[in-house]
Amino acid sequence: MRSNGPVTRNDDGTYCLSVDGSDRDVLNDLFGQFREVLTDGQDSETVKRLFPTAYHQDPQHDEEYQRLMRTELLTSHVHSIDHVRQLFQQSSRAETITLSQPDLDAFMKATNGIRLLLGTMLAVSEDDHDDIDESDPTFGQHQLYAYLGWLLDWMVSAQAGVFPVTDNSPG
Amino acid sequence: MRALSQSRRGTLLHVTPRHNGGVPDVVESPLDVRSADPEHSTRDDRPWIVLVWNDPINLMSYVTLVFQKLFGYSLEKATKLMLDVHEKGRAVVSQGSREKAEIDVYRLHEHGLWATMQKDDSGQL
Repeated sequence: MRSNGPVTRNDDGTYCLSVDGSDRDVLNDLFGQFREVLTDGQDSETVKRLFPTAYHQDPQHDEEYQRLMRTELLTSHVHSIDHVRQLFQQSSRAETITLSQPDLDAFMKATNGIRLLLGTMLAVSEDDHDDIDESDPTFGQHQLYAYLGWLLDWMVSAQAGVFPVTDNSPG
Repeated sequence: MRALSQSRRGTLLHVTPRHNGGVPDVVESPLDVRSADPEHSTRDDRPWIVLVWNDPINLMSYVTLVFQKLFGYSLEKATKLMLDVHEKGRAVVSQGSREKAEIDVYRLHEHGLWATMQKDDSGQL
């Protein structure tokens, strides 16, 4: 182990996910909701954040790009979600889950996707602070947003030094 | 986790967005594109550049990791690019042929980063 947290890297290159069963159930439910929102509501303003413009100030080329790539991007998002849900279902009662690099990659992308969706819905800005009042109707969602950020940060930390440096250009 | 136990299940991802869907406002770019203009045909060999734009949601640590993972950048270079995105609003993260730029943009979109591509008018990466 190289760190202590919900996601740690094992010496054999796999990762250990230590999130208790009830939290995993909530995450699994969230991934299901995320999948539903992605597949049913692609035209909503919130979901558009996950399908950004590619050609800056060039709508003609962007339309062509979206026509060719949007379905592929949706498939990629859904694949990450399904990958994680399958993992959770296979390990529903285990205290910890061993993740391969592709497992963690899918978990990271799916978690970040939910966070993007939540952050967009909550109109998160750079100036926001963690001072949402408990009486605020979005309090739970802000708490969840913070939790997902905490979890994602541990996923990132666990991968420190994993990716080889292949670019030696100055910079 | 307290955060999860206090979260109401079933409707967490079904609220109405408050404004423009969270997509960061695009600032006017000095790297404006004139790709179809015949007067600029002598510059058609300009490479394509891929820009990543700042947004208030993606974690700085996550953005740095994605740059390392996708482009093989050192931690130092990835961190510098992330800080450029955060502080200047955007950064050029890769360049090359149109096909390469499209692949890079797609991979960045897969990871939730807001990336765009355009012809390079600056002559520098």
